Amino acid sequence: MLRRAGPSLRHFLLERKSSAGYSSYSGEVKMSRPVQAQRLEGIDKNIWVEFVKLAATYSTVNLGQGFPDFPPPDFLKEAFVRALSRENHMLHQYTRAFGHPLLVKILAQLFGKLLGRDLDPMTNVMVTVGAYQALFCCFQAFVDEGDEVIIIEPFFDCYEPMVKMAGGMPVFVPLRPKAPQDGKLMSSADWQLDPAELASKFSERTKAIVLNSPNNPLGKVFSRGELELIADLCVKHDVLCISDEVYEWLVYDGKEHIRIASLQGMWDRTVIIGSAGKTFSATGWKVGWTVGPNRLLQHLRTVHQNSVYHCATVAQEAVAQGFQRELELYGKPDSYFIQLSKELQQKRDWLVQSLDAVGMKPIVPEGTYFLVADISEFESDVPDVPDSDEPYDSRFAKWMVKNKGLAAIPLSAFYCGAHKNNYNRFIRFCFAKEEATLKAANDILQKWKREKTRP
Amino acid sequence: MAFRHKNTRRIEGLDSNVWVEFTKVAADPSIVNLGQGLPDISPPSYVKEELAKAAAVDRLNQYTRGFGHPSLVKALSQVYERVCGRKIDPLTDILVTVGAYGSLFSTIQALIEEGDEVIIIEPFYDCYEPMVKMAGAKPVFIPLRYKNDGNSASSADWVLDPTELANKFNSKTKAIILNTPHNPIGKVFTREELQVIADLCIKHDTLCISDEVYEWLVYKGNKHIKIATLPGMWERTITIGSAGKTYSVTGWKLGWSIGPQNLIKHLQVVHQNTLYTCPTPLQEALAQAFWTDYKRMDDPDCYFYSLSRELESKRDRMAQLLQEAGLKPVIPDGGYFMIVDVSTLNVDLSDVDEKQPYDYKFVKWMITSK
Repeated sequence: MLRRAGPSLRHFLLERKSSAGYSSYSGEVKMSRPVQAQRLEGIDKNIWVEFVKLAATYSTVNLGQGFPDFPPPDFLKEAFVRALSRENHMLHQYTRAFGHPLLVKILAQLFGKLLGRDLDPMTNVMVTVGAYQALFCCFQAFVDEGDEVIIIEPFFDCYEPMVKMAGGMPVFVPLRPKAPQDGKLMSSADWQLDPAELASKFSERTKAIVLNSPNNPLGKVFSRGELELIADLCVKHDVLCISDEVYEWLVYDGKEHIRIASLQGMWDRTVIIGSAGKTFSATGWKVGWTVGPNRLLQHLRTVHQNSVYHCATVAQEAVAQGFQRELELYGKPDSYFIQLSKELQQKRDWLVQSLDAVGMKPIVPEGTYFLVADISEFESDVPDVPDSDEPYDSRFAKWMVKNKGLAAIPLSAFYCGAHKNNYNRFIRFCFAKEEATLKAANDILQKWKREKTRP
Repeated sequence: MAFRHKNTRRIEGLDSNVWVEFTKVAADPSIVNLGQGLPDISPPSYVKEELAKAAAVDRLNQYTRGFGHPSLVKALSQVYERVCGRKIDPLTDILVTVGAYGSLFSTIQALIEEGDEVIIIEPFYDCYEPMVKMAGAKPVFIPLRYKNDGNSASSADWVLDPTELANKFNSKTKAIILNTPHNPIGKVFTREELQVIADLCIKHDTLCISDEVYEWLVYKGNKHIKIATLPGMWERTITIGSAGKTYSVTGWKLGWSIGPQNLIKHLQVVHQNTLYTCPTPLQEALAQAFWTDYKRMDDPDCYFYSLSRELESKRDRMAQLLQEAGLKPVIPDGGYFMIVDVSTLNVDLSDVDEKQPYDYKFVKWMITSK
């Protein structure tokens, strides 16, 4: 095989053939500057890559990553199949870039009703590839170099790297636990912002605050008073609110999910984010949306049309039909929103009981399908390693999945680097699981407890 | 009320978009739409069936692996190992994205930044320019020039001037974007033409972003060559593909980037910070479709080849229609687009008030009056 002299000859000499007979070139581009863009600085690590792998390798009961192990409801699966079997095969082709017409229409109807507002499906709604991409569009559209973004800890881990990738500076403010009343279990409601501390985080560089209610991982459902506190500061400092409300339908004990955009002065400065994955137990469909005023959404559209442009058509059609059904059944006992919430509340109570019985102290969540528990009583199983780079709860969670087959996520995953050891005796469980799965988890916990108390 | 919330600098001036404008104008169902690039023919039935099968499996309705569903990246690695003649690791050398569009975005965000220059060959698929600008870099344009030999026009008549191309490279040049088969002209770059580009990439230590979404749509007498298979190019090339164009399912929005691990890893970082995973049932269905066709890659019935034959006869029919109308089409060697010179029609649009190029005004006139 003839090669030219010069760089090509050098490359040829370095080439080696694998046993399959394919050439397997081992060279790398050696550029005079780093090949990757600076915007990737410090955002390459990702907790899920590691913990998902561990769960896949070791777990017999996976209460780690947040997705249901039960299927989406029949009416949704049927809508998907119906969309596929129709004579009109155009559902396999591009739809409207900013959202399939049927879907944005129904979202505008539903959220218009919930917010008490007339919404234009073309300008007040945009469909995204999951709520994840909605968050990305928000940060790219509104966060410039040097802008500050307030993030409430503990937070869904992607907020921080997304702010950084946009050149912004995350500013953290913690929810702080108040001791529960005597004899009672702690509730996610006991984790609260300190108003003065929150106010001190707002500066003239603050561009936005990210609100997540119901909150992942704690399950906190922000009260009207708490939301008013945040809203007042947003208005006072002319700050945007990115409101991640993916768990909006999963609220328990008769609590109400209040949308901050419905508070005084907030509609004009808020982008609401939602998720079909969480709403309809179909995380693998990756359909999400943003709702807000046109003057904010127009910039999300610009980011969207320059990044993914279109979202897949068929799933949007099916989700639209799912919403049509829910709009008709809104507030009625047959509503999936109501049924799912009831079912998950039961599962929550089950898991709370299981954990409490063995000495792991659960923080009872007011919403979401996550639950955080204090594992201090099990510390003896995983001795502390002083000066370790890794937070205690991370080591504990890894030990637990490898030795007990039970997967959960350390709470430190939801804190920024500097604060990872502030609350490192907690782990997060996902209880959107079949009864059999939760029972199996209970068996593991019971066995574990018996082994501990045996002399 | 003072409201200081404008858009970020990165999207300044990127809000207008030709598709948003023209899809609106062409939306009337009475209009024969040969505008936007999507098939109005059905995808093959086995592809549609695979999607129905996938959606019936419970766990396929939940999250899959972020960088690409395992069965899909495995299938892609097999198909492309065969095509490229090299080992491709499904976990480290491939990223599945939301359409080839998503791959272009991930590649540019991962590897291009402020101060970089990126060479774009004109005419170009329109998103390259705003994506490069959004990354803070400077697009540097070089035209394909039409070599006129008088008679029937072919996409092969549009060529780069090697000296002109060489002059566009400098120490700031981070990448060149190549699109072959080419949209809109339909040019299929020859090995010699690719070698010219490759030599410059190696000489200037530049990356190559190779948009090959129409890779299977090449017509008789032409061969699609992957620039990544040229000596010295694998380690500096990201090759982009599209399920939408391969299987006539543009609405599935699945694409992929293939390249060396040390480049793909950066695309993966972008992906995990932008949308994390692509839809599961679609990826599973696509994987099954790929297995079906992988097994018959030696068979002329393989969809990769049968679609191309089908489109070739449509190309010929369209060319004939245009020629009969007195127009001069540029016969494409690949892709499913055909450009045509309309100046022979002499349509006078000087009284149309808008400040737009003639061809914009012509198209709108053609849609509304024809």
